[in-house]
Amino acid sequence: MITKTIMCPKCRNQITIEGNPGERKYITCPNCKTNGVFNFPQQESTAQSEEGPLAVEIKNLTKMYNGQKAVDNLSFSVKKGEVFGFLGPNGAGKTTTIKALLGLIHENAGELRINGHNMKNNYIKAKKELGYLPERANFYDNLNPVQTLNFFCELKGVDKSVVKPLIREVGLEEAQNKKVGNFSKGMRQLLGVAQTMIGNPSIYILDEPMGGLDARWVKTIRDKIKLLNEQGSTVIFSSHILSEVQNICHRVAIINKGRLIALDTVENLNKYLKIKPRLEITIKDLTGKVPEVINNLKGVESASAKDDVLFITCESKIRVKVISALEEAGFEIYNIKTIEPSLEEAFMKLITMEEGGGR
Amino acid sequence: MTAIRPKSIYTVAKKEFLDNIRNKWVILLTIIFVILIIAFSYVAGSQTGGDTLGNMQTTVFGLLGISSLLIPLIAIILGFSTISGEAESGALYVVLAYPVKRIEVLLGKLFGLGAIISVSVFLGFGLGGIVIAATVGTEQFGGYIGFILLTILIGLVYLSLIICISSYCKRRITSIAGGIVLIFWGMIFGTILLAIFYAAGYEFADLVKGNIPDWFFNSAVFSPGDMYQTAVQRAFDVTTIDAAGFSVPIPEFLSMPVLLTAHFIWFIVPLILAYFFFKRRDI
Repeated sequence: MITKTIMCPKCRNQITIEGNPGERKYITCPNCKTNGVFNFPQQESTAQSEEGPLAVEIKNLTKMYNGQKAVDNLSFSVKKGEVFGFLGPNGAGKTTTIKALLGLIHENAGELRINGHNMKNNYIKAKKELGYLPERANFYDNLNPVQTLNFFCELKGVDKSVVKPLIREVGLEEAQNKKVGNFSKGMRQLLGVAQTMIGNPSIYILDEPMGGLDARWVKTIRDKIKLLNEQGSTVIFSSHILSEVQNICHRVAIINKGRLIALDTVENLNKYLKIKPRLEITIKDLTGKVPEVINNLKGVESASAKDDVLFITCESKIRVKVISALEEAGFEIYNIKTIEPSLEEAFMKLITMEEGGGR
Repeated sequence: MTAIRPKSIYTVAKKEFLDNIRNKWVILLTIIFVILIIAFSYVAGSQTGGDTLGNMQTTVFGLLGISSLLIPLIAIILGFSTISGEAESGALYVVLAYPVKRIEVLLGKLFGLGAIISVSVFLGFGLGGIVIAATVGTEQFGGYIGFILLTILIGLVYLSLIICISSYCKRRITSIAGGIVLIFWGMIFGTILLAIFYAAGYEFADLVKGNIPDWFFNSAVFSPGDMYQTAVQRAFDVTTIDAAGFSVPIPEFLSMPVLLTAHFIWFIVPLILAYFFFKRRDI
């Protein structure tokens, strides 16, 4: 039995339903009484499987600006139902790739497909299946949110009855009669999110959706991404907040200087890069010095100390040995914390390896 | 590939129109036009010795110098940022990520902004015309209608020109610079023309005496402002150009069909170029 939370396309009410894999279930929204059908997937999630239908395909994409390659022969694909993180340092080519995918820029070479539609000759169909949030969500200052979303509904050929529920969903009800020109950055971003949801697209492309937002807005956007994915949508987003990517992405692609340098799950990346967990041990009166007993212990890869905290990178199997050795040497341990490898570490290691010219 | 869809053009045009309704442009322009036409009519009436409004022809000819500067200025203010400004602000990213073609966006913007100019000119000069007609009669009413239509047409010509510049320029500020060149094009062209006039062996005395060759007048088709003024004179069936001390007939070449064709070319060529630039542009 699978449990799914879906959203009524008319009133945006969230409905929880249960069914078996492959089952076709008829639903009536308890709020607005709209009838609909939901097809449960054959598998609980296609995201983790190696095979599966593709939402986005990028093949050999190259884009040059003034003779410089912004994107260099980039190829990767995103599976349907996946939350896909697209990472890279500033100027790596993330936004250029996204813009090429949306047809906003003209690629020098390569092939781009959205749900199988070639972006060169079938971009109208492809864009109907997309929701896009740019890094700087800017709209028309003289229009209010309702007029703004009405405009985008008309562009997409979607009934305007979805506008009010969308505004309610992103929490902009109180500002619905205000001009967008008076909105804060967070409010614009939320309006941008509402705009992406018009027509319930199957693929969301979010370029730095949390960039420059405070913690409250970041949480709102992150929750929205999770919800969209739970409802079956594919979400591709670029971000520099690596911890956010780590928490919600099934897979990540890391690019640097326009080239793909890694594409995998966060877990596999850490395994591949041999990034080990780190111990943080708080010891009474340590005074920022690594104890001799640790320096002499086999299997400790690195050790450092700051004030009363000792940082040790080692294999999991010798963690117990580390603790025992400290206790036997008479150190009084207050606290032990294990820090799992972060995407940031993998990211930094990959970028350093790439720029250093090899692995 | 699918054809151009009128529905998408209408959606973009409606948005542009509503945007400018909300920022009060239409109301402001209409009021300006009403005030201008009544004021010029009053001045024209006073100059002919009466304490009433001037007739339609005198009013329009008095106003022509101002309107041939004001209408281009309005078109440029409305259109300079329509592509470059929206690309710079990011608003265009979102629009073009929707299932809409660039040609549809371009035409929608042209029609939407064109509607702003058309509605305000029609209402402003129309209301002014009604006041003049009610006061001094409907003599030369046809010429006045021609003046309104030609004013709308020259507004669309400048709109097409500035959209072309906005499509080409990467930044809003360069579009403004392009707009300034457009405003002064009449003067720039006039100076070039005068240089050619002297180079052809003519002298200042020829200008004063009205000894001016036809090609000098015919070149009005290269300057939209001059072209518009000549067309308005034609609309009132005026056949001579009267300047200080001389009166020369308007060359036959500058007939109404030729002038309308020239307006159309000035409208359509920049529009084609605008599409070419916009289509190739990286947003």
